[in-house]
Amino acid sequence: MTSSPRRSGAEAGPAVAVRGLTKVFPVPFHRQSIVAVKDLSLRIEPGEVYGLLGPNGSGKSTTLKIILGLVSPTRGRTEIFGRDSRLVESREAVGFLPENPYFYKYLTGNETLRFFGHLSGLRGVALKNRINELLDLVGLSRARNRRLGTYSKGMLQRIGLAQALIHDPRLVVLDEPTAGVDPAGSRDIRDLILDLKRRGITVLLSSHLLAQAQEICDRVGILADGVLVREGHLQELIAIENQTELIITDASDELIREIESAVSRSKAKLIERRKSTTTLERLFLEATKNDKRMTKSE
Amino acid sequence: MQTRYRPFSLWRIRAITANTLTELTRLKVFYVLLVFALVLIGSSIFMAQFSFQQEFQILKDISLGAISLFTSLLAIVATARLLPQDIEDRTLYTILAKPVPRFEYVLGRITGVLLLLAISTLVMAAAFVLVLYLREQAVVHTTLRQMSGAPPDQMADALRVVRSSAFNINIFPGITVIYLKACLLAALTLFVSTFATSNIFTIVVMAFIYFIGHLQATAREYWLQEHSGGVITRVFLAIVTLLFPDLQAFNLVDDIVAGTAISLAVFAKTAVLGLFYTTIYTLLATFVFYGKEL
Ligand SMILES: Nc1ncnc2c1ncn2[C@@H]1O[C@H](COP(=O)(O)OP(=O)(O)OP(=O)(O)O)[C@@H](O)[C@H]1O
Ligand SMILES: [Mg+2]
Repeated sequence: MTSSPRRSGAEAGPAVAVRGLTKVFPVPFHRQSIVAVKDLSLRIEPGEVYGLLGPNGSGKSTTLKIILGLVSPTRGRTEIFGRDSRLVESREAVGFLPENPYFYKYLTGNETLRFFGHLSGLRGVALKNRINELLDLVGLSRARNRRLGTYSKGMLQRIGLAQALIHDPRLVVLDEPTAGVDPAGSRDIRDLILDLKRRGITVLLSSHLLAQAQEICDRVGILADGVLVREGHLQELIAIENQTELIITDASDELIREIESAVSRSKAKLIERRKSTTTLERLFLEATKNDKRMTKSE
Repeated sequence: MQTRYRPFSLWRIRAITANTLTELTRLKVFYVLLVFALVLIGSSIFMAQFSFQQEFQILKDISLGAISLFTSLLAIVATARLLPQDIEDRTLYTILAKPVPRFEYVLGRITGVLLLLAISTLVMAAAFVLVLYLREQAVVHTTLRQMSGAPPDQMADALRVVRSSAFNINIFPGITVIYLKACLLAALTLFVSTFATSNIFTIVVMAFIYFIGHLQATAREYWLQEHSGGVITRVFLAIVTLLFPDLQAFNLVDDIVAGTAISLAVFAKTAVLGLFYTTIYTLLATFVFYGKEL
């Protein structure tokens, strides 16, 4: 379980390998067909947080589903920890949160986790403890005995996360984990992902919220119309090598004038000078933070 | 927590089975049983005017007919939505993203339905036997009162007539066969739902199969009279028999009501036929489900 030391990097090879993946969806009664993913190759190393970015319809979900063996590829191969995605046993080490997850409305939060625990081969006291732990982690302890039909969208997303983590997988695949979740909720999810990363768990997520991806991803790939148009380490992709930002508090006008004159004396050039503003997100969080978030779940 | 992966796990199937039962229970399909109870009560009130032989006959006729109809209905309606709903709601994604082979999912689902049908059949059968027993006791009492002065052997004869017209040994195999017919229908519904475009489609197709299935034996005999039994005819008939199971073969109610004995051979043959069809349809459903794009 969580206490056992992770063997991160102990197994050779990537956590996820995608090679030459193409997926064509036939359109019934029409001659043309949709190419959702075109000759895609990816390699995700153990312990990495990888973000698959792209606009709507660019093939993110399709790629994730193929990796999980839910959709069959037209061409190419995908593997999880060296095991072909088409083999059921490749799913042993993965937790998956589909986009807009929808569970059985007639089950309570607790029963939902027990069901998925059983499917993952857990039982008895170990499962019970794990369920308590996870309900706590996602802040649904107080809603555990309510049917999912009464859950809000954010709560469903969180029970979905708990469900994905139930068997303590080595790889977690999240399709738009923060879709439909409010800013505080998505910050919680971000923290949770960072915590997974700290524990050496590989995370593959899709998103079109770029600011968020920027905060958590080690590497990103950008898909457009099923083609991987960019890929690399986030810092390398977005760093502007020859620019530096300084953010200073309580600086006197005098100090700022001094800095500016120092800049103008050197070979460097001052491009922009502005007052810092807070982000709308920070403002929102500030204004609504009086409740301790994770426990306010119903 | 990483355990060795098992390609087949009764534990996982059990989880899906239990979930199916929970789902159907919470969707309140058991309300059908209340309707059955009403039919039973209604018919006993209606029958007060008949002689006891007629009364027991009608009671058995109506009750067994109702058990047969309700289990069939339950089998079709409860099964039709299971799979399409899981695909539409994408709950299947979360299930199959766990290490669950697709055949375990199908097996878990069908087992859940068969259990539901078993429970329903048992409850209805128990209610029916109880009512029959109570009516029999009532008639026994009246007979005793009416014949209070008669010699003992005459009285014993009269009671034997009452008892034999109420219960006969055929009731239980008859109900078993009704249950097997429902199992067959459930498995066939599951199979149809793997390629159906909507729940309505599945239910309409099943209603169609239900009626054809009751007629097909007669039609087949007629056909064989007209045509010689060549190879093509045989293949054609085999396909028809596969798609439209001979449901009339599962209709033993008339025999039970008439009190004719169901021979062990007939019972065994029908039971095997039911199990065979159920297995075949489950396999076909699994097969189609494996090829299905979710
Ligand atoms: N089952 C399907 N049948 C036909 N076409 C499909 C199917 N699933 C996806 N597509 C098509 O494949 C393309 C990629 O879809 P996909 O869901 O992977 O996009 P996405 O990047 O996840 O988009 P979003 O950000 O909206 O979730 C789209 O053009 C979509 O219409
Ligand atoms: Mg998507």
